[in-house]
Amino acid sequence: MKIEARALIKIFPAPPFSGSQPLCALAGLDLEAGPGVLGVEGANGSGKTTLFKTLAGIIEADGGAILADGAAAGSGRLRELSVYCPSNPRAFYFRLSAAENLRFFGALAGLSAAQALERAKLLGDRLGLSPADLEKRFDRLSEGNMQKVSLLRSFSRRHPLLLLDEPFRGLDKRACLGLLGLIKEAGKASVVLVSSHSPELLRDAADKIIVMEAGKIKNGGEK
Amino acid sequence: MSAARTIAAFIRRDFLAEKSYRLSFALGALATLANLAVFYFIGRLFGGGLAPHLEPYGTGYFAYVFTAMAFFGYIGTGAGSYAGRLRLEQTQGTLEAALSTPLKTIPFLAAMSAWNFLFASFELVVYALAGIFIFKLDFSAANWPAAALVFALSAACFAALGIISSCFVVLFKRGNPLAWVLNNFEGLLGGVYFPVAVLPGWLLAVSNLLPVTYAVRAFQLAVNKGAGPAALGHDLLVLTVFNIVLIPASVRLFSLAVNRARKTGTLGEY
Repeated sequence: MKIEARALIKIFPAPPFSGSQPLCALAGLDLEAGPGVLGVEGANGSGKTTLFKTLAGIIEADGGAILADGAAAGSGRLRELSVYCPSNPRAFYFRLSAAENLRFFGALAGLSAAQALERAKLLGDRLGLSPADLEKRFDRLSEGNMQKVSLLRSFSRRHPLLLLDEPFRGLDKRACLGLLGLIKEAGKASVVLVSSHSPELLRDAADKIIVMEAGKIKNGGEK
Repeated sequence: MSAARTIAAFIRRDFLAEKSYRLSFALGALATLANLAVFYFIGRLFGGGLAPHLEPYGTGYFAYVFTAMAFFGYIGTGAGSYAGRLRLEQTQGTLEAALSTPLKTIPFLAAMSAWNFLFASFELVVYALAGIFIFKLDFSAANWPAAALVFALSAACFAALGIISSCFVVLFKRGNPLAWVLNNFEGLLGGVYFPVAVLPGWLLAVSNLLPVTYAVRAFQLAVNKGAGPAALGHDLLVLTVFNIVLIPASVRLFSLAVNRARKTGTLGEY
């Protein structure tokens, strides 16, 4: 699949009566990516997360267009095509086990319980998350293991567009290596966008790297 | 993805979460029994004092309030659970995660409160058993098919109201005027605790604008007096009209509210 963003604009309105100004998070961004891994670098507030969420169909752009294989893709279509792994790994049900969480979110993405659990075990092994960890209540996991569960949720869906927002956050060395392997494999069939504040990890993960600044690709090109 | 699989996944999730709060479950059951006891003793205190207003229903006060509370408890689930569930998902940070999947609006709405309805059904059975075996109520005159029809129409109507109420949660997070009306006025004006005939004329006029009035009256007449669909015709017609208007409107409004939250980027906020 090929994903294109053309003159993408996203402006978050100021809260009513706050006296603050609307926030322009994407300022006419152009992007084109095919199968492979594209690294996205940029300072805090440069628009990386907004770009990922817009490409995932979680938020809607205010201007411009997103094309999937040349056809205009609205937010509903993008949610069918993409998986977004958030930078904050806490979007889970804390009183349920990691496995139950993955089973639930797998069902929402069309996976059977058996598929969700089988993929969780296989992928968990690659990231250093043991079957015993999967059976632990989510709120009993360390931050790093929460991040691994968040990654399992994303990788188990095998969609054509994978958006990984700071996926290395909180991971130990073994898990980072495992994740690099998973990203490379996913990039063979899918478009994978990865953001990170670690230049070294981003270089290891991505075939190409772009830099975002003030809601645009800096100098319109690759690093 | 089948809607049935989605609903099953939500029910399993909510059951597991609920099971992890054991004390809350037990206290909820005790509160229900305590409520019933209050009305039982009120009924004993006043005896047949309210008989003129209760005459159309052919029953005493306790049987009246017992039936209405059991019924209202179930249909009120639809009115309250959507907003409550959504708010919980917002504060847990899971709403955005759930709505970033390809899940469509109707399966999501059907699944979101499925556990609440299942649990309310269980409570209803407890009510019925308590009514028969503890409080020795006589339901022998009931017209159960008519009661089931009223039940289905009322539950759908209140679920639609609950979905509309949840739109406020999606858009404004806190501050839900519809929930406030549903919580504070449906019981007062809908004939749950007393027949609406005791209300003054101007309040009766307001009461006649609410679906709960028709729902409670029709259910009371079906259960306590054995009224059939012909005798309940007017109430059933009004409930049907409410459903025809409210169900499509609620689904549409919910979609619009979620789309608005996607546009403003506030889906994940609380």
